[in-house]
Amino acid sequence: MSEKLAIDAKGLSKGYKIGKTKQQVLKDVDFNAYHGQVTMVMGPSGSGKSTLIAALSGLMKPDEGEVIALGESLWKKKKSKIDQFRLDHCGFIFQGFNLFPALNATQQVEQVLKYCKASKTEARRRAIAALEEVGLGHRLKQTPAALSGGEKQRVAIARALSKNPQLLFADEPTSALDSVSGQVVIKLLHRAAKEHGAAVICVTHDPRLEAYADRIIHMEDGKILDDRQITPLT
Amino acid sequence: MSLALSTLIFEWRRYMAAVIALAVAGLLVLSLVGMFMGIGKTFSATIDRSPAHLMVLPPDSEGFGGATQPRRNIPALFQHPEVVEVQPYTVRWAMWSNFPAAGQPAKRDGVQTIVVDPVKGAVTMPNDFNEDVIMALQEPYTVVIDQSSLAKLGVKVGDKATMNGRTVTVRATVANYPSLFNAMVFTSRQTAKLLNLADEGPRVGSLLVKVADPARTDQVVEELNSMGKGQYKAWTRAQLSEKNQEAMFKESFIVIILGFMLLVGIFIGVVITWQTLQGAILANIKEFASLRALGVSMGALNLIIMELSFWVGIAGLGMTAILLMGVNALAGAFNLTMYYPLWSILTIGAMLLTIAVLSGLLSLGVLKKSQPADLLR
Ligand SMILES: Nc1ncnc2c1ncn2[C@@H]1O[C@H](COP(=O)(O)OP(=O)(O)O)[C@@H](O)[C@H]1O
Ligand SMILES: [Mg+2]
Repeated sequence: MSEKLAIDAKGLSKGYKIGKTKQQVLKDVDFNAYHGQVTMVMGPSGSGKSTLIAALSGLMKPDEGEVIALGESLWKKKKSKIDQFRLDHCGFIFQGFNLFPALNATQQVEQVLKYCKASKTEARRRAIAALEEVGLGHRLKQTPAALSGGEKQRVAIARALSKNPQLLFADEPTSALDSVSGQVVIKLLHRAAKEHGAAVICVTHDPRLEAYADRIIHMEDGKILDDRQITPLT
Repeated sequence: MSLALSTLIFEWRRYMAAVIALAVAGLLVLSLVGMFMGIGKTFSATIDRSPAHLMVLPPDSEGFGGATQPRRNIPALFQHPEVVEVQPYTVRWAMWSNFPAAGQPAKRDGVQTIVVDPVKGAVTMPNDFNEDVIMALQEPYTVVIDQSSLAKLGVKVGDKATMNGRTVTVRATVANYPSLFNAMVFTSRQTAKLLNLADEGPRVGSLLVKVADPARTDQVVEELNSMGKGQYKAWTRAQLSEKNQEAMFKESFIVIILGFMLLVGIFIGVVITWQTLQGAILANIKEFASLRALGVSMGALNLIIMELSFWVGIAGLGMTAILLMGVNALAGAFNLTMYYPLWSILTIGAMLLTIAVLSGLLSLGVLKKSQPADLLR
C-alpha cells in the first residue's frame, strides 16, 4: 500500500511574548504525517509539542509557516471555515477527558454528532457503534462519575472517532492513566490508523507507547531533532 | 434530553440560587398584584355576584361609589321594552355596637349596610345567598354579615347588636364578602326603613337591571346608552367589575410601589442569575472547549447557554408557582383574598423569562474563555 500525505507543514514558527522578551517556541519546523500511520511526537516538557499540534490542527495560528491539511491550506481559511474543517475531519484526545458531568457515555458522543448533520437515530447508532468499538458496549448509560479514568478516556476517544476523522490528534492521552489503561488507549489509536486510515498524531512522554508508533519524531527546544520512520513507507 | 436541560437537572444545586432569585422576583411582584387585585375583587364582590344583567350608573361614575342619579331614571329605563326589573342598589353607613357579654370587649364601628329584597331571584339579592339566609332576612330587624366580620363586630349568630341605636339580630352569616375597611351588613328593604337607612328621596345610587333575554345584554346596554342621551350610563356586569379592578391601578402609589418592585425584582434577578450562569459555564469550560476543538462553532455553544438560561427561567417560574401557593395559604389564614388576573400571570412569566434570557446573554462573554488550545498543554 502507498501512504498518502495527510498533513504537510512547512516553516512553522510561533513565539509567546512574556513581558518584554519573546520566547520562541516553534522554530521554523517542517512536519508531515501520513494516513494510516501513528506518528508519535516525543520530547521533554516545554519543547513545543503541544504548540505544534495546535498549529497543525487549526487551534492556534502560527506566526509563520503554512499547513496543508488534506490538501487544503488550513490557515488561509476564515475562522468559521476552520471550525467546519475540524468538525468534518479532526478528532482530539487530550490529557484530561473533558466529559460533561451530566451526560452519560452515549450522550457525550451524540452531543458532537448532533453538529455533524446526523439524524437522531443515526447519531444514536453511530454513538453506540463507537462506544462498542472502544469496548464500552456495557457502559453506554454511565455518567463520568461512574466511570474509571481509562473508561472516561475511552469515551473521549469514542467521541473523537464517531465523526470518522481523517486527522486524529492526541496530546499526552495516557499520562493521566495507569499503564494498563494506557495500553488500551494506544491500541485504540493504533486501530484508528490501521482500520480507518486516519493520520494519528500522538504527543507522548511515555516510552512504552513507542511500540505502537509507525514513526517517531523527537522535538527539543522548538526544533525537530530526529525523525525515525519505523514502518517503512511503501 | 438536551445538554442544557440535563446539566440543569444534574447540577440543580448550582442553579438553585438563580432559580430562587427569579422566584422571589416573580413572587414579589405577583403577590403585590394579587393583593391589590384581591382588594379590588372584594370591592366588586357585590357587583360580581349580583343577578342583575346590567347596571346603570350616573354618567360620570365608574363604580358603585357615592355618585347619585335622579330617581326618574328608573321609569326612563322601562322605556326600553326588554327591561323587566329595575331596583336601586342601596348602601348606607350605619354605626354598629355590640352588646358585650361579661369580659367581652365592646365594639363600635361604622358598617356599610347593603339593602336587599329577600325574595329569591330579586335583582338586589346576591346569587350566592341560600334559602336560609333569605328566610332570615325576611324577618324585620334581622341582619346578615360576613363570617369573617363576626369577630370584628363582636357578635355570634343569634346575638343582638344596635345599628344607629336600634336593636337588630344577627340571624345568619354569608361567606366571601370580606371587607378591608368597614364590614358589610345585609338587611331587607323593610328593615332598612325601620332603621331609617332607606330614604326614598329624589336621588338614587346605582341601578340594578334585569332584561328579558340575558343573551342580549350587550345590545340592550348599547341601546340604553343611546336612549339615555348622557343622562346615565349603562354597563354590563363584566365591564363594571373590570373597571372597578382597574380603578385600583389608577392610584398612583400602587403603580409606584409595583413599578419599584418590578425594577428591584428585575435587577436582583438579572444579577444573581447572570452570576450563577457565569459560574456554571466556567465550571464546564473545559468541556465546552473540547467541543470547540471538535469543531462545534461558538454560535452553537451560545445556543446551548441560551437554552440553559431559558430552562433556568422555566424553573424559576415553577418555583414562583410553588412559593405563590405558600403565600396564598398564608393569605387565606389571614382572610385576605388574593386574585391574579391572567394578564398579571402572563406579565410575570414574560418578566422571568426575559430576566433569564438577559442573564444568559450577559454570560455569553465567559464562553470566550473556552479556548481549545488551552486544553493542549
Ligand atoms: N499560552 C501561552 N502563553 C505563554 N507561553 C506559553 C503558552 N503556551 C505555551 N507556552 C510556553 O511555550 C513553551 C512550549 O509549550 P508546549 O508547546 O506546551 O510544550 P510541550 O507540550 O512540549 O510541553 C513552554 O515553555 C510554555 O511555557
Ligand atoms: Mg504539552
